[in-house]
Amino acid sequence: MATQHLLETAKDQPAVLIERTLRSGQIVHYEGNLVILGDVNPGAEVTATGDVVVMGVLRGTVHAGASGDESATVIAFRLQPTQLRIAGYIARSPDGETSRPNQPEIASVRDGIVTIEDFPIGGERSGKN
Amino acid sequence: MSEVIVVTSGKGGVGKTTVTANIGCGLAMMGHTVTLIDADTGLRNLDVVLGLENRIVYDLTDVIAGNCRLRQALIKDKRYEGLHLLPTAQTKDKSAVRPEDLISLCEELKDLFDYVIIDCPAGIEQGFKSAIGAAEKAIVVTTPEVAAIRDADRVIGLLEANDLNDPKVIVNRMRMKMVDRGDMMGIEDILDILGIELLGVIPDDEEIIIGTNRGEPIVGNDDSLSGKAFRNIVMRILGEPVPLLNLEPNQGLFLKLKKIIGFK
Repeated sequence: MATQHLLETAKDQPAVLIERTLRSGQIVHYEGNLVILGDVNPGAEVTATGDVVVMGVLRGTVHAGASGDESATVIAFRLQPTQLRIAGYIARSPDGETSRPNQPEIASVRDGIVTIEDFPIGGERSGKN
Repeated sequence: MSEVIVVTSGKGGVGKTTVTANIGCGLAMMGHTVTLIDADTGLRNLDVVLGLENRIVYDLTDVIAGNCRLRQALIKDKRYEGLHLLPTAQTKDKSAVRPEDLISLCEELKDLFDYVIIDCPAGIEQGFKSAIGAAEKAIVVTTPEVAAIRDADRVIGLLEANDLNDPKVIVNRMRMKMVDRGDMMGIEDILDILGIELLGVIPDDEEIIIGTNRGEPIVGNDDSLSGKAFRNIVMRILGEPVPLLNLEPNQGLFLKLKKIIGFK
Protein backbone atom coordinates (compact mmCIF):
# COMPACT_ATOMS: atom_id res chain seq x y z
CA MET A 1 0.00 0.00 0.00
CA ALA A 2 1.13 3.51 -0.75
CA THR A 3 0.90 4.60 2.87
CA GLN A 4 3.07 1.69 3.89
CA HIS A 5 5.70 2.67 1.35
CA LEU A 6 5.74 6.23 2.65
CA LEU A 7 6.17 5.04 6.20
CA GLU A 8 9.03 2.70 5.25
CA THR A 9 11.04 5.55 3.79
CA ALA A 10 10.23 7.88 6.69
CA LYS A 11 12.80 8.56 9.35
CA ASP A 12 11.91 6.29 12.20
CA GLN A 13 12.58 8.55 15.15
CA PRO A 14 10.26 10.02 17.73
CA ALA A 15 9.37 13.68 17.36
CA VAL A 16 8.24 16.29 19.82
CA LEU A 17 6.35 19.57 19.41
CA ILE A 18 7.27 22.63 21.43
CA GLU A 19 4.47 25.15 21.26
CA ARG A 20 6.24 28.27 22.43
CA THR A 21 9.08 30.66 21.71
CA LEU A 22 12.45 29.79 23.27
CA ARG A 23 14.11 32.77 24.89
CA SER A 24 17.72 33.52 25.84
CA GLY A 25 19.03 31.05 28.42
CA GLN A 26 16.47 28.37 27.65
CA ILE A 27 17.75 24.97 26.49
CA VAL A 28 15.92 22.13 24.78
CA HIS A 29 17.52 18.76 24.10
CA TYR A 30 15.64 15.86 22.57
CA GLU A 31 16.56 12.37 21.43
CA GLY A 32 14.72 12.47 18.13
CA ASN A 33 13.21 15.13 15.86
CA LEU A 34 12.26 18.49 17.24
CA VAL A 35 9.57 20.83 15.96
CA ILE A 36 9.26 24.28 17.48
CA LEU A 37 6.09 26.27 16.92
CA GLY A 38 7.59 29.66 17.73
CA ASP A 39 10.88 31.50 17.48
CA VAL A 40 14.29 30.50 18.86
CA ASN A 41 15.80 33.74 20.16
CA PRO A 42 19.51 34.58 20.46
CA GLY A 43 21.04 32.88 23.51
CA ALA A 44 18.64 29.91 23.37
CA GLU A 45 20.01 26.45 22.51
CA VAL A 46 18.24 23.67 20.67
CA THR A 47 19.79 20.23 20.22
CA ALA A 48 18.26 17.08 18.76
CA THR A 49 19.65 13.77 17.59
CA GLY A 50 17.42 14.03 14.52
CA ASP A 51 16.08 16.97 12.50
CA VAL A 52 15.11 20.38 13.82
CA VAL A 53 12.18 22.29 12.33
CA VAL A 54 11.47 25.82 13.51
CA MET A 55 8.11 27.25 12.49
CA GLY A 56 9.31 30.77 13.19
CA VAL A 57 12.56 32.74 13.26
CA LEU A 58 15.65 30.76 14.29
CA ARG A 59 18.14 33.25 15.77
CA GLY A 60 19.76 31.10 18.49
CA THR A 61 22.12 28.12 18.44
CA VAL A 62 20.93 24.88 16.91
CA HIS A 63 22.45 21.41 16.71
CA ALA A 64 20.79 18.72 14.60
CA GLY A 65 22.05 15.14 14.42
CA ALA A 66 23.70 15.73 17.78
CA SER A 67 24.80 12.10 18.17
CA GLY A 68 26.53 12.02 14.79
CA ASP A 69 23.79 11.70 12.15
CA GLU A 70 25.17 13.65 9.18
CA SER A 71 21.93 13.31 7.25
CA ALA A 72 20.10 15.48 9.78
CA THR A 73 18.71 18.82 8.60
CA VAL A 74 17.62 22.11 10.07
CA ILE A 75 14.63 23.88 8.57
CA ALA A 76 13.29 27.25 9.65
CA PHE A 77 10.83 29.79 8.32
CA ARG A 78 13.66 32.31 8.76
CA LEU A 79 17.08 30.74 9.21
CA GLN A 80 19.27 33.32 10.99
CA PRO A 81 21.08 31.23 13.63
CA THR A 82 23.95 32.43 15.79
CA GLN A 83 25.55 29.05 15.16
CA LEU A 84 24.31 26.02 13.32
CA ARG A 85 25.70 22.54 13.87
CA ILE A 86 24.89 19.31 12.11
CA ALA A 87 26.57 16.20 13.57
CA GLY A 88 30.26 17.23 13.86
CA TYR A 89 30.06 20.18 11.45
CA ILE A 90 29.82 23.73 12.72
CA ALA A 91 28.73 26.78 10.76
CA ARG A 92 28.16 30.30 11.96
CA SER A 93 26.50 33.30 10.41
CA PRO A 94 28.93 35.39 8.32
CA ASP A 95 30.44 38.46 9.98
CA GLY A 96 29.01 41.81 9.03
CA GLU A 97 25.90 42.53 7.03
CA THR A 98 24.39 39.53 5.36
CA SER A 99 21.47 39.06 3.06
CA ARG A 100 18.36 37.83 4.79
CA PRO A 101 16.19 35.86 2.41
CA ASN A 102 12.56 36.35 3.22
CA GLN A 103 11.60 32.71 2.91
CA PRO A 104 12.08 29.31 4.53
CA GLU A 105 15.51 27.68 4.23
CA ILE A 106 17.03 24.28 4.89
CA ALA A 107 20.52 23.47 6.15
CA SER A 108 22.18 20.14 5.49
CA VAL A 109 25.66 18.66 5.13
CA ARG A 110 26.84 18.22 1.53
CA ASP A 111 30.36 16.95 0.80
CA GLY A 112 31.49 17.81 4.28
CA ILE A 113 30.16 21.39 4.21
CA VAL A 114 27.09 22.81 5.89
CA THR A 115 24.97 24.05 2.99
CA ILE A 116 21.98 26.33 3.20
CA GLU A 117 19.36 26.40 0.46
CA ASP A 118 15.92 27.79 -0.12
CA PHE A 119 13.19 25.46 1.02
CA PRO A 120 10.68 25.51 -1.80
CA ILE A 121 7.12 24.65 -1.03
CA GLY A 122 4.79 22.30 -2.88
CA GLY A 123 5.51 20.28 -6.04
CA GLU A 124 8.90 21.83 -6.77
CA ARG A 125 10.43 19.76 -4.02
CA SER A 126 8.92 16.33 -4.63
CA GLY A 127 11.31 13.83 -6.17
CA LYS A 128 14.41 15.50 -4.76
CA ASN A 129 17.05 13.60 -2.79
CA MET B 1 -8.46 46.07 43.20
CA SER B 2 -4.85 46.50 44.23
CA GLU B 3 -1.99 45.44 42.01
CA VAL B 4 1.61 44.47 42.71
CA ILE B 5 3.84 45.32 39.74
CA VAL B 6 7.56 44.60 39.42
CA VAL B 7 9.81 46.72 37.20
CA THR B 8 12.73 44.65 35.96
CA SER B 9 15.24 44.44 33.11
CA GLY B 10 18.08 42.00 33.69
CA LYS B 11 20.71 44.45 32.52
CA GLY B 12 21.71 47.28 34.80
CA GLY B 13 21.56 50.95 33.94
CA VAL B 14 18.65 50.83 31.50
CA GLY B 15 16.40 52.95 33.71
CA LYS B 16 14.42 50.66 36.04
CA THR B 17 14.59 53.07 38.95
CA THR B 18 13.72 56.12 36.82
CA VAL B 19 10.76 54.28 35.32
CA THR B 20 9.58 53.12 38.76
CA ALA B 21 9.78 56.64 40.18
CA ASN B 22 7.96 58.22 37.26
CA ILE B 23 5.19 55.63 37.08
CA GLY B 24 4.69 55.94 40.84
CA CYS B 25 4.49 59.74 40.68
CA GLY B 26 2.24 59.55 37.62
CA LEU B 27 -0.22 57.21 39.31
CA ALA B 28 -0.24 59.43 42.40
CA MET B 29 -0.90 62.49 40.17
CA MET B 30 -3.98 60.70 38.87
CA GLY B 31 -5.24 60.35 42.42
CA HIS B 32 -4.24 56.77 43.21
CA THR B 33 -2.46 55.61 46.34
CA VAL B 34 0.91 54.05 45.59
CA THR B 35 3.81 52.47 47.46
CA LEU B 36 7.17 52.08 45.75
CA ILE B 37 9.39 49.35 47.17
CA ASP B 38 13.13 49.55 46.56
CA ALA B 39 14.26 45.92 46.35
CA ASP B 40 17.85 46.79 45.47
CA THR B 41 19.24 46.18 48.96
CA GLY B 42 22.82 47.40 49.26
CA LEU B 43 22.63 49.60 46.16
CA ARG B 44 19.50 51.59 46.80
CA ASN B 45 18.71 54.51 44.49
CA LEU B 46 14.99 55.03 44.44
CA ASP B 47 15.09 57.30 47.48
CA VAL B 48 17.66 59.52 45.74
CA VAL B 49 15.69 59.74 42.49
CA LEU B 50 12.60 60.76 44.47
CA GLY B 51 14.60 63.21 46.60
CA LEU B 52 13.64 61.44 49.84
CA GLU B 53 17.06 60.15 50.94
CA ASN B 54 17.30 62.38 53.98
CA ARG B 55 13.99 61.14 55.44
CA ILE B 56 14.91 57.48 55.85
CA VAL B 57 14.85 56.24 59.43
CA TYR B 58 13.67 52.64 59.12
CA ASP B 59 13.83 50.47 56.01
CA LEU B 60 12.61 47.24 54.45
CA THR B 61 15.10 45.08 56.32
CA ASP B 62 14.00 46.63 59.64
CA VAL B 63 10.39 45.73 58.89
CA ILE B 64 11.39 42.16 58.01
CA ALA B 65 13.55 41.80 61.11
CA GLY B 66 10.73 43.16 63.25
CA ASN B 67 12.66 46.25 64.38
CA CYS B 68 9.77 48.51 63.45
CA ARG B 69 6.21 48.47 62.19
CA LEU B 70 5.52 48.71 58.47
CA ARG B 71 3.90 52.14 58.89
CA GLN B 72 7.07 53.53 60.45
CA ALA B 73 9.22 52.57 57.47
CA LEU B 74 6.89 54.09 54.85
CA ILE B 75 8.01 57.56 53.75
CA LYS B 76 5.42 60.00 52.45
CA ASP B 77 6.45 61.73 49.25
CA LYS B 78 7.00 65.46 49.50
CA ARG B 79 5.20 66.36 46.25
CA TYR B 80 2.41 63.90 45.59
CA GLU B 81 -0.33 63.03 48.04
CA GLY B 82 -0.84 59.28 48.15
CA LEU B 83 2.71 58.34 47.09
CA HIS B 84 4.86 56.41 49.56
CA LEU B 85 8.34 54.91 49.47
CA LEU B 86 9.50 51.81 51.29
CA PRO B 87 13.28 52.18 51.07
CA THR B 88 15.74 49.36 51.62
CA ALA B 89 19.02 49.18 53.53
CA GLN B 90 22.26 50.36 52.03
CA THR B 91 24.43 48.58 54.59
CA LYS B 92 23.09 45.05 54.12
CA ASP B 93 23.00 42.68 51.17
CA LYS B 94 20.33 40.84 49.21
CA SER B 95 20.26 37.91 51.66
CA ALA B 96 18.44 40.18 54.13
CA VAL B 97 15.26 39.91 52.03
CA ARG B 98 13.84 36.50 51.20
CA PRO B 99 11.07 35.99 48.61
CA GLU B 100 8.56 34.97 51.30
CA ASP B 101 9.31 38.14 53.30
CA LEU B 102 8.38 40.33 50.36
CA ILE B 103 5.30 38.24 49.56
CA SER B 104 3.80 38.68 53.02
CA LEU B 105 4.77 42.35 53.05
CA CYS B 106 3.06 42.99 49.71
CA GLU B 107 -0.08 41.22 50.95
CA GLU B 108 -0.14 43.71 53.81
CA LEU B 109 0.53 46.69 51.52
CA LYS B 110 -2.19 45.66 49.07
CA ASP B 111 -4.79 46.36 51.75
CA LEU B 112 -3.47 49.88 52.16
CA PHE B 113 -2.68 51.03 48.60
CA ASP B 114 -4.05 50.86 45.05
CA TYR B 115 -0.66 50.08 43.54
CA VAL B 116 2.50 48.48 44.93
CA ILE B 117 5.44 48.87 42.55
CA ILE B 118 8.69 46.99 43.17
CA ASP B 119 11.96 48.33 41.78
CA CYS B 120 13.90 45.15 40.98
CA PRO B 121 17.71 44.99 41.20
CA ALA B 122 19.75 44.21 38.08
CA GLY B 123 20.75 40.61 37.54
CA ILE B 124 18.79 37.38 37.88
CA GLU B 125 20.02 36.20 41.27
CA GLN B 126 18.55 36.29 44.75
CA GLY B 127 17.45 39.94 44.70
CA PHE B 128 15.65 39.42 41.41
CA LYS B 129 13.96 36.26 42.67
CA SER B 130 12.75 37.99 45.81
CA ALA B 131 11.44 40.95 43.83
CA ILE B 132 9.48 38.97 41.26
CA GLY B 133 8.15 36.46 43.78
CA ALA B 134 5.73 38.98 45.24
CA ALA B 135 4.58 40.50 41.94
CA GLU B 136 1.39 39.85 39.99
CA LYS B 137 2.37 41.82 36.92
CA ALA B 138 5.71 42.71 35.38
CA ILE B 139 7.12 45.58 33.36
CA VAL B 140 10.39 44.92 31.52
CA VAL B 141 12.53 47.98 30.78
CA THR B 142 15.02 47.85 27.93
CA THR B 143 16.99 50.17 25.67
CA PRO B 144 17.47 49.83 21.89
CA GLU B 145 20.80 48.02 22.35
CA VAL B 146 21.50 44.40 21.52
CA ALA B 147 22.89 43.61 24.99
CA ALA B 148 19.89 45.10 26.82
CA ILE B 149 17.45 43.28 24.57
CA ARG B 150 19.25 39.98 25.03
CA ASP B 151 18.96 40.39 28.81
CA ALA B 152 15.34 41.48 28.56
CA ASP B 153 14.58 38.34 26.58
CA ARG B 154 16.28 36.22 29.24
CA VAL B 155 14.29 37.93 31.97
CA ILE B 156 10.98 37.49 30.13
CA GLY B 157 11.74 33.76 29.97
CA LEU B 158 12.41 33.69 33.72
CA LEU B 159 9.25 35.70 34.45
CA GLU B 160 7.16 33.26 32.43
CA ALA B 161 8.80 30.35 34.26
CA ASN B 162 7.61 32.00 37.49
CA ASP B 163 4.01 32.34 36.25
CA LEU B 164 4.33 36.06 35.54
CA ASN B 165 2.77 35.83 32.13
CA ASP B 166 2.22 38.66 29.65
CA PRO B 167 4.87 41.07 30.89
CA LYS B 168 4.90 44.41 29.07
CA VAL B 169 7.94 46.23 27.74
CA ILE B 170 9.02 49.85 27.99
CA VAL B 171 11.73 50.93 25.55
CA ASN B 172 13.83 53.64 27.16
CA ARG B 173 16.37 56.05 25.62
CA MET B 174 15.00 55.90 22.10
CA ARG B 175 16.76 58.14 19.59
CA MET B 176 14.57 58.52 16.55
CA LYS B 177 17.29 60.28 14.57
CA MET B 178 19.59 57.27 14.95
CA VAL B 179 16.76 54.94 13.98
CA ASP B 180 16.09 57.03 10.86
CA ARG B 181 19.77 56.79 9.93
CA GLY B 182 19.65 53.02 10.42
CA ASP B 183 22.12 53.16 13.34
CA MET B 184 19.68 52.06 16.02
CA MET B 185 17.13 49.32 16.33
CA GLY B 186 13.59 50.49 15.80
CA ILE B 187 10.57 49.61 17.92
CA GLU B 188 9.44 47.05 15.36
CA ASP B 189 12.77 45.20 15.49
CA ILE B 190 12.69 45.09 19.28
CA LEU B 191 9.12 43.82 19.44
CA ASP B 192 9.95 41.24 16.76
CA ILE B 193 12.51 39.64 19.07
CA LEU B 194 10.77 40.03 22.41
CA GLY B 195 7.28 39.22 21.17
CA ILE B 196 5.45 40.95 24.04
CA GLU B 197 3.13 43.92 24.31
CA LEU B 198 4.61 47.44 24.21
CA LEU B 199 3.70 49.64 27.16
CA GLY B 200 5.52 52.72 25.92
CA VAL B 201 8.59 54.35 24.46
CA ILE B 202 10.65 57.00 26.29
CA PRO B 203 12.83 59.28 24.17
CA ASP B 204 16.45 59.84 25.14
CA ASP B 205 16.11 63.17 26.96
CA GLU B 206 18.60 65.27 28.94
CA GLU B 207 15.72 66.53 31.06
CA ILE B 208 15.37 63.04 32.58
CA ILE B 209 18.98 63.11 33.81
CA ILE B 210 18.53 66.61 35.20
CA GLY B 211 15.31 65.59 36.95
CA THR B 212 16.87 62.41 38.33
CA ASN B 213 19.81 64.34 39.75
CA ARG B 214 17.51 66.86 41.40
CA GLY B 215 15.18 64.23 42.78
CA GLU B 216 12.29 65.50 40.65
CA PRO B 217 10.74 62.87 38.38
CA ILE B 218 10.11 64.16 34.86
CA VAL B 219 6.49 62.96 34.75
CA GLY B 220 5.44 66.12 36.55
CA ASN B 221 7.02 68.33 33.87
CA ASP B 222 4.28 69.38 31.48
CA ASP B 223 6.58 70.83 28.82
CA SER B 224 8.85 67.87 28.16
CA LEU B 225 8.23 65.12 25.64
CA SER B 226 9.59 62.45 27.98
CA GLY B 227 7.23 63.60 30.74
CA LYS B 228 4.36 63.19 28.29
CA ALA B 229 5.66 59.72 27.36
CA PHE B 230 5.56 58.71 31.04
CA ARG B 231 2.07 60.15 31.51
CA ASN B 232 0.90 58.09 28.54
CA ILE B 233 2.43 54.96 30.09
CA VAL B 234 0.56 55.67 33.32
CA MET B 235 -2.69 56.01 31.36
CA ARG B 236 -2.05 52.65 29.71
CA ILE B 237 -1.41 51.04 33.11
CA LEU B 238 -4.80 52.44 34.16
CA GLY B 239 -6.29 50.66 31.16
CA GLU B 240 -6.81 53.55 28.75
CA PRO B 241 -5.65 52.97 25.19
CA VAL B 242 -3.41 55.94 24.41
CA PRO B 243 -1.75 56.07 20.98
CA LEU B 244 2.05 56.06 20.80
CA LEU B 245 3.73 59.44 20.99
CA ASN B 246 5.40 60.97 17.96
CA LEU B 247 8.98 61.10 19.18
CA GLU B 248 10.25 63.51 16.55
CA PRO B 249 9.71 66.79 18.34
CA ASN B 250 11.31 69.43 16.16
CA GLN B 251 9.43 68.61 13.05
CA GLY B 252 8.36 71.89 11.46
CA LEU B 253 5.22 72.34 9.45
CA PHE B 254 7.24 72.40 6.25
CA LEU B 255 8.84 69.00 6.94
CA LYS B 256 5.51 67.50 7.87
CA LEU B 257 4.01 68.83 4.67
CA LYS B 258 6.85 67.33 2.68
CA LYS B 259 6.26 63.94 4.29
CA ILE B 260 2.55 64.10 3.55
CA ILE B 261 3.15 64.98 -0.09
CA GLY B 262 5.64 62.17 -0.34
CA PHE B 263 9.06 63.82 -0.50
CA LYS B 264 11.57 62.33 1.87
